[in-house]
Amino acid sequence: MKKLSWYRPWHPWVFLLPTLIGLFVFRLGPMIFALFMSFTDWNIMSRPHWVGLSNYKELFTDSAFFEILKNTLVFSMIYVSGALVIGLLLAVLVNTKVKGVRFFRAAYFTPVVTSAVAVGIVWGWILSPKYGVLNYFLEHLLHINSPSWLGDQKWALLTVAFVQTWKMVGYYMIIFLAGLQSIPKQLYEAARIDGASKSQAFWKITLPLLSPTTFFVFTIAIIDSFRNFEIIYTMTQGGPQYASTTLVYAVYLNAFVFYRMGYASAMAYVLLTIVGLLTLLNFVLKKYWVKNVY
Amino acid sequence: MLKNVVVYTFLTALAVVMIFPFFWMLVNSFNSEQNIFRLPPSFIPDKLFKKDMFENYKVVLKDYNFARYILNSFIVAGLAAVGQVFTCSLAGFAFARMKFKGSGIIFSLLLMTMMIPVQVTIIPEFLLMMKLNWLDTFLPLIIPSFLVGSFGTFMYKEFFENVPQDLEDAAVIDGSGPFSMFLRVFFPLAKAETTTLFIIAFMNNWNDLLRPVLYISSENLYTVTIALTQFQSEYEAQWNYLLTGSVLSILPLLIVYILLQKYVVEGLTHTGMKG
Amino acid sequence: MKKLLFVLLSALLVTLLIGKTVTIKYWMWDPTIKDKVEKAIEKFESLHPNIKVELTTMEPKNYWPKLRTMAFTKKLPDVFNMSSGYLEEWVKNGFLMDLTSYVENDLDKDKFFFNLFEAGKKLSGTDKYYAIPFALVVTNLYFNKDAFDEAGIPYPNENWTWFDFLNAAIKLTKDKDGDGKIDQWGFWLYGRYANIEPWIYANGGRLINRNTMRFDPNKQAIDTLKFLTSLTTKYHVSPRPKDMKGIKAKNVFPMGIAAMWVDGSWNIENIRRIADGKFRWGIAPVPQGPCGTEKVVFGWPDFIVISARTKHPKEAWEFAKFMAGEGLTIDMYMAGKIPSYKPLTMSKDFDEEGKQPPEKGKVLRELASRKLMNSFTMGWGEWRGYGPAESMGLNGLIDAVLNGDMSFDEMLQKAYENINKVLERYYK
Repeated sequence: MKKLSWYRPWHPWVFLLPTLIGLFVFRLGPMIFALFMSFTDWNIMSRPHWVGLSNYKELFTDSAFFEILKNTLVFSMIYVSGALVIGLLLAVLVNTKVKGVRFFRAAYFTPVVTSAVAVGIVWGWILSPKYGVLNYFLEHLLHINSPSWLGDQKWALLTVAFVQTWKMVGYYMIIFLAGLQSIPKQLYEAARIDGASKSQAFWKITLPLLSPTTFFVFTIAIIDSFRNFEIIYTMTQGGPQYASTTLVYAVYLNAFVFYRMGYASAMAYVLLTIVGLLTLLNFVLKKYWVKNVY
Repeated sequence: MLKNVVVYTFLTALAVVMIFPFFWMLVNSFNSEQNIFRLPPSFIPDKLFKKDMFENYKVVLKDYNFARYILNSFIVAGLAAVGQVFTCSLAGFAFARMKFKGSGIIFSLLLMTMMIPVQVTIIPEFLLMMKLNWLDTFLPLIIPSFLVGSFGTFMYKEFFENVPQDLEDAAVIDGSGPFSMFLRVFFPLAKAETTTLFIIAFMNNWNDLLRPVLYISSENLYTVTIALTQFQSEYEAQWNYLLTGSVLSILPLLIVYILLQKYVVEGLTHTGMKG
Repeated sequence: MKKLLFVLLSALLVTLLIGKTVTIKYWMWDPTIKDKVEKAIEKFESLHPNIKVELTTMEPKNYWPKLRTMAFTKKLPDVFNMSSGYLEEWVKNGFLMDLTSYVENDLDKDKFFFNLFEAGKKLSGTDKYYAIPFALVVTNLYFNKDAFDEAGIPYPNENWTWFDFLNAAIKLTKDKDGDGKIDQWGFWLYGRYANIEPWIYANGGRLINRNTMRFDPNKQAIDTLKFLTSLTTKYHVSPRPKDMKGIKAKNVFPMGIAAMWVDGSWNIENIRRIADGKFRWGIAPVPQGPCGTEKVVFGWPDFIVISARTKHPKEAWEFAKFMAGEGLTIDMYMAGKIPSYKPLTMSKDFDEEGKQPPEKGKVLRELASRKLMNSFTMGWGEWRGYGPAESMGLNGLIDAVLNGDMSFDEMLQKAYENINKVLERYYK
């Protein structure tokens, strides 16, 4: 029997219309336009000039840009390793069968649903050198002289990266937890009978079988690690000097504060290239460490 | 037994780290201005269980207009979330149940653009909004997320693909066209997906800062996030109010999270992408 | 019959009048006084029945990007507000109308602080008048009277020297509860323009060489920077900026953490809000440096300008002149802003009797009459470190010295490099 077709060829396009408009007007169009802009010098006031590669040249001869690039990568490294290590640790912990563990799961997840702005504000207060509760306890109970977490060149970036990781780690925990729970119990049972210790079971069974989840977390964490505008805007505004300025914040500054649309677009494209390369690299390396179990 | 003690110790210690900032926010929202700058920091707020316990809340909601900002955030996040549901369910349905040329390419474009940092597209988007004369309206906050949602489309596609063929056939025999097929048969099946997507889109838009920073300048159009950062730069000396504002800004989401935990957590785990 | 004729005639008259009516578009950046500006416009329209004014108000954050696109699309309003920091860029790009002949022939100069017109001329980088000042902000010394009384030091006055200042700052720096930590600092300094430049100019210094348009501080300027940074690094009378994190810079003085502070006069409002009821405070001119030969003040006017493409230059001028002078009322000026129109500044209302600081009117009037100095250039916000870039530029460098993260010489070295890199982009 020939199947009845209940739709005309043009029907799918009607269903897709909003998506297509969105895709072209808010994603692909702007992407192409931004690439074009990155070859111009434009202050939105006078006509844009075509300047060829000079924005990119300026970027790669500017020492501040290299500092920003370094900050971006340091931030990402802290964030991604935090997501992987602490995320997994939390997941293992909340995977134990003890009473009330659901409460802890929910607690660890709470920062994920709150806004970076509120989180940034309260952490700013906790970390304040004069009235902050953290430094008070470090100094009076532990007698540790603590730095100005957000005002010190050496600490600002690390602190902001820590807070962002703290905020998001519950999210990666949940993904890991789902991965852990999908590993068949019989495998552990068999390993126990074979006389494997707990830690052996973790390294030999859990980690390899979890590798698809780990890959997934890794991919997402890399992409997420570049989403740090909110926390930086609220906590340090990129300072002191360039100490906590990342590419994302630098794009905002150059475009909407200094009105250097072309230069900012070039920066955005460097950012896009980095994200793209890392993601690509991740997929290329996938076959060397991700077990195909499913 | 010992093992349990160790586990609980860890669990509790970590819970303190994860929850303390919220606890501290809450505690200080019941402090007066004098008490908040006291050293050593006091863990018992001076207004707690007093007559004027909710004084800070009253001031922030009324005098500092937070009631208005919260309403604005509800409007923006609500409409954007409705839009996501609308756009994504339609597209997910088309991808899942209809065959057409270019389906694969469009779908992978949609997924690929998900990884693009918003900073890449925001400059042209800003210029577009300016050309459209949409600055200082809610439209630029709503429309972009109204119209594209990779995560939601993906989720609906997966769900609709797994709907048994029989259901489709039965509807065809009943004489359903594509629109009634979608509206009467498929969309009602995806209640859980719709709830999940709505909540997550709502959350993302509620928490967004970049777009409000760029597009909103009139005070009566502030969303809570931009209002908080403005508050922070103007009235930072009044930390009690600032932290009260922070509590108010996260409260709606926390309530949603506590009530609908299952959807939030599952939705985020499921495909794990935001935006 | 007569009645009909009358009706016809008046109808004709009205059409003629409407036909000749000119519409002027006016943009300004302060929505909080929109109703007051509307009132002023009503008054203007009743005085000039053939001119209609369309008002648009916008917050500064939207005002500038929007104004820039309007310039790009050749749709600038006829009359709009302009800040000192951007004036040169707008003049150089040819968007503003030359007002020289109007200023010279059609303005009651005695009624204005005319030095502000000259300041506008200098800021534009030309020898013509492109802008009419309507307000002025200056910088001054704020001091905590209660703290001075407690330490038994006489209040600062206009004859104060750096030596007097340092002496007072040392005496005012106190550890009140004996825990080894300072509770009241003598002074509060950080790298912001309004904290640093007033001292430099009061010592005969300059940051920018106006001939080469490069960062090129003279010896007086470098000496001033050395003196200022030593307040924190050597004399320890001012806290390191990083130790004040968590408290906004503008709140340190009003919260009583420091007894003196130099910043813009616009802070008066914020200090009133936080300090009133807690301590008495006052304002004075910034102490004159040892090399300062002339009494000057670091400050800048806000302007009203006319688009070069306006179709009605005469009407636009009438309106702009009105909105810089007789049309304004004192309640359009936030406490520390000084009207450029003398009848307003000299009025009793400007003193705001009964409010702190009691000497406001006297001190600000005197400062307004001084020679006005500033260091705006194109790209100023970027090289100086302003707004969301506040932790960068020269601001960030000076803070790094104050924080002990950088030596003075290293700071100077970097300042030359970084600032001139920005300036080279704008001034080939």
